Amino acid sequence: MYIGALVCLLCASLLPLIFSVGPLQRFARKVALALAAVGALSAILFAIRVLLYEDMLRLDLLRISSIVGLSVDIDLLAGFFVFIIGIVALPVVIYSFSYSEHFQSGMSKNLFVSLMSFFILSLVLVVSASDMFSFLFFWELMSVSSFLLVMFDYHSPKCRKAGLFYFVMTQLSTAFLLLAFLVIYSAGGSLSLAIPPSLSPWISGLVFLSLMFGFGTKAGVIPFHKWLPYAHPASPSPISALMSGVMIKVAVYGLLRFLIPFQSPSLWWGVVVLVFGTVSAWLGVIYALKEHDLKRLLAYHSIENIGIIWMGIGLFLVFSFFHLTALAYLGLAAALFHTLNHAIFKSLLFLSAGGVIQSAHTQNIEELGGLVKTMPFSAVFFLVGAVAISAIPPLNGFVSEFMLFQALFSSNQVGDPWLQVLLLVCLSFLAMTSALAAACFVKAFASVFLALPRSDEARSASEVPFPMLAGQAILALLCVVFGVFSLQLFSLVGQRFGIGFDLPDLLSLTAVMIVICFAVLLLLRFFASSRTRVGETWGCGMSRQTPKMEYTASGFSQPIVEIFSFIYRPKKVNSRSYHDSCQADFSEGEAEIHMLKFFEEYVYLPLARVIRLVSSWFYRWQNVVDIDSFVFFGFLSILALIVITGVWA
Amino acid sequence: MSAAAPVSSGWAIAVYCVLNLALSVALAPFFMSLIKKVKARVQRREGPGIFQSYYNLAKLFKKEVVYSSNSSFIMRIAPYVNVVCLLTAALFVPLVFVPAGFSGVGNIILFLYLLALAKFFMALAGLDAGSAFGGMGSSREMAISSIIEPVAMIVFASLAFSFHSLNLFDIFSQVAGSVPFLSRPTLLLVGISMFIVLITETARIPVDNPETHLELTMVHEAMVLEQSGRNLALMEISAAIKQLLLMALLVNVFLPIGLVVDLAALPLVAALSIFFIEMVILAVFIGFFESYCTKLRLFRLPTMFLIAYFLSFVTILLEVLV
Repeated sequence: MYIGALVCLLCASLLPLIFSVGPLQRFARKVALALAAVGALSAILFAIRVLLYEDMLRLDLLRISSIVGLSVDIDLLAGFFVFIIGIVALPVVIYSFSYSEHFQSGMSKNLFVSLMSFFILSLVLVVSASDMFSFLFFWELMSVSSFLLVMFDYHSPKCRKAGLFYFVMTQLSTAFLLLAFLVIYSAGGSLSLAIPPSLSPWISGLVFLSLMFGFGTKAGVIPFHKWLPYAHPASPSPISALMSGVMIKVAVYGLLRFLIPFQSPSLWWGVVVLVFGTVSAWLGVIYALKEHDLKRLLAYHSIENIGIIWMGIGLFLVFSFFHLTALAYLGLAAALFHTLNHAIFKSLLFLSAGGVIQSAHTQNIEELGGLVKTMPFSAVFFLVGAVAISAIPPLNGFVSEFMLFQALFSSNQVGDPWLQVLLLVCLSFLAMTSALAAACFVKAFASVFLALPRSDEARSASEVPFPMLAGQAILALLCVVFGVFSLQLFSLVGQRFGIGFDLPDLLSLTAVMIVICFAVLLLLRFFASSRTRVGETWGCGMSRQTPKMEYTASGFSQPIVEIFSFIYRPKKVNSRSYHDSCQADFSEGEAEIHMLKFFEEYVYLPLARVIRLVSSWFYRWQNVVDIDSFVFFGFLSILALIVITGVWA
Repeated sequence: MSAAAPVSSGWAIAVYCVLNLALSVALAPFFMSLIKKVKARVQRREGPGIFQSYYNLAKLFKKEVVYSSNSSFIMRIAPYVNVVCLLTAALFVPLVFVPAGFSGVGNIILFLYLLALAKFFMALAGLDAGSAFGGMGSSREMAISSIIEPVAMIVFASLAFSFHSLNLFDIFSQVAGSVPFLSRPTLLLVGISMFIVLITETARIPVDNPETHLELTMVHEAMVLEQSGRNLALMEISAAIKQLLLMALLVNVFLPIGLVVDLAALPLVAALSIFFIEMVILAVFIGFFESYCTKLRLFRLPTMFLIAYFLSFVTILLEVLV
C-alpha cells in the first residue's frame, strides 16, 4: 500500500510533464490529480494500519553501499506523520482539480500539478526515512520542490524575493542539521536517526542545539521565522496549505524523532524548547494582528501554532526530566495532537483564503468585505477554521490547547519552585495567545466576509467551484470530528498505550448544547414574537450607509496595537501642505503608520551588513591583485588546509 | 480527581441541572436591576423598580426583530449561540447544591472557553451590520478580553494550586459549608483579582459603562447596538446570566456557607436563602463600587489588570515557595 502511494504520486508528478504539449494535456492533468488523490488516500489507509496494528514497514528503495542508501522505516511516529500528510494532501488535491485551471498558460497548469504531486511525495518520504543519509536526501528534495513552488509566479519581483529568502533560510536549516548529523556520525559511527546515549553532555547539548535551530528554522520558530510571512503570500494557496499544514510539521517530526527516544536529556533542553515555543506563540499572534495581507496573517498564525507545539515538546522534556511520566505524555500528546489539528484547520483556512483571493483578486483584507453574501459556503468553512484556530470548544483546536493548559496547571508537581514560576508565566502567555488569536480571527473573518464590500473586486466576487468547496468541506468536517469526539479518540489512544487522559467530554457537551438550543427555540416559539423585518443599519440618523463608515481591519486592531505599542513601536509619518503661509488652510497630505519589523531591522539586517562588510573587504582584495596572484592565494590556502588537517590527525 | 467521593444518583444530577438552570435564569435579571437600584439610590434618585429588568425582557420578547440589510447569518445566530453557551456554562458553577462525585462537567478551562465562544460570536455580530459603533465595540471588547484572559487563567490557576483541582465541583465540595479564607488567607488576594475579572467580564465601571450609549465609553453596549426585539432580549439575558455565574463563583469560593452536598429539602431551602443573601450583599457592593469609581481610560486598563494578575501570582508564589 505504501509503495502504491509512492508510485501513484510519482506517476502523478511525471504524467503532466510527459503530456505537457498536445491535445491530451488537460486529460493528463486530471488523471495525474486523480492519481495523486489515490496516492494520498492510500497513504492515509496505510498510516491507519500502521497506527492500529503496529504494522511497521522497513524497506530499501535504493542501496549504494552497506552504509549509504535510500531506505524507509515506518514506525508509529512516522506513521502518525504520514497520516497527517495524507489527510491534508487529499483535500488539497481535490481542491486543486479546479484551482489548477485558473493559471494562465497550459505549461504552468501542468507544472503546478506535477510539482505539487512531487512535493507531497517528498513529504511522505522525509518522514519515512530510516537513516540520516536518506533523511537529508529527502529533506533536500522537499526543500527544492517547495522552493520551486514558492517561485511559481516568478515574474513578480515580490515572489522572487520571497523565493530567495526561503531558499537561504532553508539551506541554513540544512546546514544546522548537517552539523548535528556529522557530530552524531563521528561520535557514534552510525547513520541511524538517534542521538547516541554515549555522548558527553557538552556534545549532546551541541547536537541538541543544532537540531533545534535546524528544525526550528524549517518550522518557523522565532527568531528564524522570517521566511514564512514572505513565502506564504507568494506561493499558490494549495501550496501554502501544504507548506503550513504539513511541511513545517515535518520539522516537528524531525525534532521528535531525535528527542523522544533519547534517555537522558538535560533540564535546560526542555526549558529552551519551552521558552522558544512560548515566545514564538505569543509574538506570532501579536505580529499576525497587525497584518492586512490575508495569507501573511495566516502565515504568522502558523508561527504561533508551531510555538504552541514547541511548548508541548518542551513540557514533555521538562516533565520527563522529573520522571513525571503521565504529565510528560500529556505534553507530548498535546504537541502531537496540536500538530494534527493545526495541519487540518490551517490548511482549511489557506484553502478558503485561496478561494477568496481567486475570486476577489486581492489578498488585502482592507479591500474585501461582505463576501458572506456571495460566497456563503466559503464563509462557513472559514468560520469553522477560525473557531478551531481560536481554540474555542467544541472544535479540535480547543482540545489540544486544553491538554497543554492542563499540563501547565499541573506545574505544582515539578520539584523546582523557579521552574513552577516559569511554567505559570508560560501558562499566562498561552492564555493571552489564544485570546489574541480569537481577536485576530474575529478581525479576519469580519473584514473578509461581513459588512459591506470595500472594493469593486470584492463586490463582483462569486462562489468558487465545487471541487474547491469539497476540499474545504472535508477539512471542516475533520475539525468538528476531532473536536467533538476527542474524548473517545483519546480513550482509544489511552488504552493502546496504557495512559489515562483526563479530557472533558465534548460529545456530551455538544449534545447538551443542542438540547438547550432546542429548548430555547421551543420556549421562544411559545412566548416570544417571531416577527422580523429588514431595515437599514442604524447610523445616528445618517441616511445612507457606505463601506467607508464601517470598521476596517487596522481600525479593529488599533486598541491592541496601542496596548502592545512597546512591541510594535508604531511610527506615524505625516506630510501636509497648505494653501497659505500661516498653515491654516489645509490642502492635502499623507499620513502613514509604520510598525517596527524588529527581527528584520535588528537581527537579520545587522547580520547581513556584517557579512557584506567582510565580503566587500575580500572583494577589494580581488580587484587589487591580478589573476596569477589569485591562483597563488588559492594554492596557499590549499596548502594551509593540508597542513592543518595533517596536524589535526 | 476525587475518586473516593460517592457518585451521586441520576436523580441528584437531574435536580442539580434543573435547579442551576432555573435559578440562573430566574435570578439573573434581578441582580441587574438591584445594582441599578443601588446606583440610583447613591445618586439620590428613586431609580427603576427592582423588577424592571423582567419587564424590559418581557417587553423585548414581544417586539419584532429588525435586521440590517447588510447583516448575514452571523447576526441571526449570535443571540442563540450566546444564550446556549451561557446556559451550558450555568451547569458548570454549582449555585447552592453540589452533587458529589459528579465531575463530568465543571472544568474551569472549559467554562472559560464557553464564555469565549459566546464572546467570539457576539464580537462578530457587532461587526456584521457594518456600523461603526458595532465595530468599535467588538474591537475594544476583543482587546480587553485578550488581556483579561491571562488574568482569569492565573486566577483559576491559583485556585487550582490552593485546592489541587481544576474542577469546580471538586473545589466546591471541598469547601462546602466552611469559610476557607480563614485557613487560607491568601484567598483574599485571589478574591480581589476575581473581583476585577468579574467587573471586566460584566462590562462595568471602571472598564465599561453599562448605562450610557455614548460612543466614548461603549464596549458591550456598542456590540449589541444592532440587536433588537427577541434577539436583544436573548443577548441581555445572557449578559445577566454571565454576571450571576461570575458573582456566584466569587461568593461560593470565599463564603461557601450556603452550599450543600446532600440532597434534602430543609438544608436546600436554607442554602438557597443564604446564597441569595450573599449575592444581594455582593450586588449592593458592586453597586457602591461602581458609584464611587470613575471610568478609566481604555488604555489605562492594562494597569488595573496587571494588579489583578500580580495579586494572583503572589498567591501562587506563596503557595509554591512557602
